[in-house]
Amino acid sequence: MEEVDHIIIHSLRVIGCDIEEDVTNLKQFSTELIVSAVIRCLKVINSDVDLPNSLPGGMSAKFRIGTSMAAHIQELGYRGEIGYQTFLYSNEQEIRRVLMFLVDKLPKETAEAVEEVLGASVLLQRTIASTLAQQLNSVWTPPYLKQNSITWRGSPPHWQREGASSLCKFHASHLHIPQGMTDLKRKLPKALRSYYSQSLPYVTNQTVHHNDTSSSVIEKMASEITAQQEWENEWNQAGLASRLSEQEYREKKKNKIRKRVMDQLRQDVQRSGDFAASRKAQDLQQMIDSISSRAGSSTKTKGSRFTHTEQLIFAKDEEKTMSQMGGESEVGQGHSEEEIQNQRDAEVEGLREEVSGLVSRLEQMDLEMRKFTASIQQMEEVVSTQGSTNAEKEEAYTVKKRTLDLLPDAENNIAKLQSVVDGSAQRLVTLANQWEKHRAPLIDQYRELKDLSSKKESEGEKKLEEIKAFRVRMKEVADDARHKDEHLKQLVAEYERMTKDVNRSAYTQRIMEIVSNIKKQKDGINTVLIDTRAVQKEINQLTGKLDRTFTVTDELIFRNAKKDEAAKKAYRHLAALHESCELLISTVEETGVIMREIRELEDQIENESKNKVLSNLEKITSDYQQMKKENTALMAKMKQRS
Amino acid sequence: MELSQAVIDSLSIVGDSAHVPNKCYQRLLDAAFDGVVDSEQRNRISGDEAFGGVDKAALKEAYAGLVSCIIEATKHDTEAASLEAVLEDCKFTADRIKAFISSYQERKQILQILLGNVGVTPPHIVDVDWRLDYYIKNNHLEKVNQAVYLISLKTEVPGKPGIQDVQFSCTQEQLQDFVGKLKDATKCLEKISASQ
Repeated sequence: MEEVDHIIIHSLRVIGCDIEEDVTNLKQFSTELIVSAVIRCLKVINSDVDLPNSLPGGMSAKFRIGTSMAAHIQELGYRGEIGYQTFLYSNEQEIRRVLMFLVDKLPKETAEAVEEVLGASVLLQRTIASTLAQQLNSVWTPPYLKQNSITWRGSPPHWQREGASSLCKFHASHLHIPQGMTDLKRKLPKALRSYYSQSLPYVTNQTVHHNDTSSSVIEKMASEITAQQEWENEWNQAGLASRLSEQEYREKKKNKIRKRVMDQLRQDVQRSGDFAASRKAQDLQQMIDSISSRAGSSTKTKGSRFTHTEQLIFAKDEEKTMSQMGGESEVGQGHSEEEIQNQRDAEVEGLREEVSGLVSRLEQMDLEMRKFTASIQQMEEVVSTQGSTNAEKEEAYTVKKRTLDLLPDAENNIAKLQSVVDGSAQRLVTLANQWEKHRAPLIDQYRELKDLSSKKESEGEKKLEEIKAFRVRMKEVADDARHKDEHLKQLVAEYERMTKDVNRSAYTQRIMEIVSNIKKQKDGINTVLIDTRAVQKEINQLTGKLDRTFTVTDELIFRNAKKDEAAKKAYRHLAALHESCELLISTVEETGVIMREIRELEDQIENESKNKVLSNLEKITSDYQQMKKENTALMAKMKQRS
Repeated sequence: MELSQAVIDSLSIVGDSAHVPNKCYQRLLDAAFDGVVDSEQRNRISGDEAFGGVDKAALKEAYAGLVSCIIEATKHDTEAASLEAVLEDCKFTADRIKAFISSYQERKQILQILLGNVGVTPPHIVDVDWRLDYYIKNNHLEKVNQAVYLISLKTEVPGKPGIQDVQFSCTQEQLQDFVGKLKDATKCLEKISASQ
């Protein structure tokens, strides 16, 4: 039972019961402690339970709390007998049973949460919490005791930052780092090499402020890593499919980008040129518009003084000239104005007619020109066709002439021609044969090569696919490994945290011990059982033997008793012996039964004595007295009131 | 921790005893760590005569690799074991790995503080001066009789040397409100620190 008590007490302490260190078993639990522990348990299990944490002084209040506690526990599904007396007049075993039930019912969320794998964020939060706790526990120090607000303290002492005077903004500048200096295959210009070895400052000395070194390094690193990843992705997706070597692919991409940029630039330049041109045109238009509008406005009365004066001057001049001219015409000709007008109109008419006549003639000429050029083209075509027919005819003529030449000696010539024809036919046949001869192997070769190349291509494709698959797998495996690493880290951290919880291992050890003990006891019980069985068997055997020997001797002596007096006596003695022996055996058995009963009774007495009946009775009587007193007090109050 | 190929290449130079002789290695390590941490020693390596026989260009590359590795490891709070694996990949010998890791562990806190210094923050209160004045009367009122607290918060402002004052005056209620707010903030911190 001690183990159980330990477990119960431990779990009660875990949920926050105030149990003193020297309490090691339930026997030592006082009534107050029991009540507070049970209430704490109930509250943890069900947060709605509304009970005071400690036992009140009044007897009736105590009674009420006891009954409500019992009711709550029964609600939770407790099957034993339970009432207020269980808590107020406690009995160790009952209390143990109740507490075991309650501890079993305690929510196990906390345990489950521990078993869950903690995420990185939880770990981070934990470290934040522990660091904060550490810093909260340290005492305040005046700022002038810190250099750049960095201190060396804590237990164990460590560096920590308190304050903000040393903070600086993230400011990254470009760092120049030589690369591949030990790679003998790489060719570097001499000047660059000498710059690297002589003038280039070391990395930590490149930024203007030393503060920026770390941020610059971080940024450079991040950009390099992302560039690498990007490149890898691209190479996996597009690069491998293009079947170019890495350098070629890069070259191609570079060209492509350059071309695109160039196109873009060209387009933009063009567009901007267009725009500028249109702007110019617009400007011109606007200018013209503005001028014309100004001109328009000047014709109206509104205008600047300048235009007014201009108008005035010009108007005067015009009037002058007009008057002069008018004077002249008046002096020179005696014709009326109408005549002059008519004359002029007629002149204009004539000129107009002339112009239209000229225009129509011009059009006619144009038309003729066009006609002539078309006819020229036609004629040229005709000429060319005539030329070709001419050439054909000439050829026909030469052939005919030759045949005519050959005609006089016709037969000979025919034979000759025949032979020539035959020869050429033969030559053609032989040539065709030769061609065939050459052709066949060449075609075969061509087919073979074609097959080979297609095979190679398909193989290449297959390999490409394999490579792709491998890359994918590689990535997966790498990811997996990374995940597992992270997992491992978390678990290690978790484990380190867990070691504080010694109880668990102690419990398991104890449980194992208990189990082994039980096994041993079981073995003992088994051996005892076997022993008793053997004894029973022996007893049975012996009684059987006894019975048989008795009957045999009984018969023997009985037979002899008819004849012999001594035998008769002996028979009587035997019967008496048998009887008394049986009596003896039955007494022995009875004593055994009585002994067992005594033992049982003793056990019962022990149990009863454990139940603290006497003290409980005393308590009950005292409580009863108190109740009575309270009641009388209340009655007295009532009476006073009335 | 992930390192770029360039950094791995330069770290391999550090690991190669042909380029960085054994006697120079510790000097290089110290120079790299101190160069990162201490602004006065940022250029210490260039004046060091121990590196007389070493090709300066290669040394610069190696140094840059070391510095990058140190900063990256600090940034990720890398464990000694994984750092060991990285260095092994860069062909470091066991002795060199050990020397590196011991130097790293020794300066890790300082390095982390150094990286933690990168950032922005509102002014940080480090101290407070106060004065209680009693305001008796003014030209409008014969009797005012009020307590006035003059508070001067001492703050550290990043980028400014010394301590900056933030001064204000307040009545008792305002001060109580202010103190309550501060207490709330403290409680908040305590809650966070207790939530582990």
